[in-house]
Amino acid sequence: MIRRLLPLFIFLLLLGFLFQSLYNKDTELPSPLIGKPIPAFNLKNLITEEEHSSHEIIGEVSLINVWATWCVGCEMEHEFLVDLSQDKRIDLPIIGLNWKDDDRLAKLWLKQLGDPYSIVLKDPKGKAAIDFGVYGAPETFLVDSSGIIHFKHIGPLNREIFERDILPLIGELN
Amino acid sequence: MIKKSVICFFVLICFSAIKANELNSNDQIRYQSLIQEVRCLVCQNQSVAESNAELAKDLRREIKLQIQDGKSNSEIKKYLLDRYGEFILYEPAFTQKTLFLWFSPIILLLMFYGWFRKIGN
Repeated sequence: MIRRLLPLFIFLLLLGFLFQSLYNKDTELPSPLIGKPIPAFNLKNLITEEEHSSHEIIGEVSLINVWATWCVGCEMEHEFLVDLSQDKRIDLPIIGLNWKDDDRLAKLWLKQLGDPYSIVLKDPKGKAAIDFGVYGAPETFLVDSSGIIHFKHIGPLNREIFERDILPLIGELN
Repeated sequence: MIKKSVICFFVLICFSAIKANELNSNDQIRYQSLIQEVRCLVCQNQSVAESNAELAKDLRREIKLQIQDGKSNSEIKKYLLDRYGEFILYEPAFTQKTLFLWFSPIILLLMFYGWFRKIGN
């Protein structure tokens, strides 16, 4: 009896697996960079054209936000980033990484939509973005005062995600 | 129409020959096979070789640069794995985590073998 039911059992097991993967929203890949220091780079400041190394920009718990003017999701999250940068209760510098963008358009964007960034570095060739394991903007990294990456969010950031995933971590890190 | 596309085809061949000159023939072969092993993360199951996405272009350029720098295939793969994780390579590494994945075909084969023998008896 058990032997005859075995194929049925295997079939149901398989069905279970298939159904699970049907509803599995596993599109967000874990980043191997969590727990590691940010990659070394030398990038120019979008506004001043001054060159900055990765060492120079760390020192505080901060966000590193990868954005571009061609990126729709970046437009969606921008208002929240501006709000966040003006929030007196949360002291969290946002470092912008302007990814494969046009300088002129990027500056215009900041002028028109507001500039939430403490500094904006530009990565016109996308080399630094590869080192950060970026595959689609916007992406946001939470970095501690010694430059270790603690969290990565892929896609537009909003208050809900920020308060759920990032805010508790900031409390721990400070 | 056919004539045009034939001309187009040969023009493209000429250009690809010029581009290929940047790497020596050995490296070119390595480059071509490497970029087929690397997944384009933003595309629906295309390799970096097949995709026209910006990120795929950047990754191709990076791989080419590293070949020119004399990096080995495993060094280049490690570079990508360290940044993007297991998902970037089509062929998963042989680790404890992927043990079941690698052996599942053999396990299934044995199961079926046993099953069919039983039916045969």
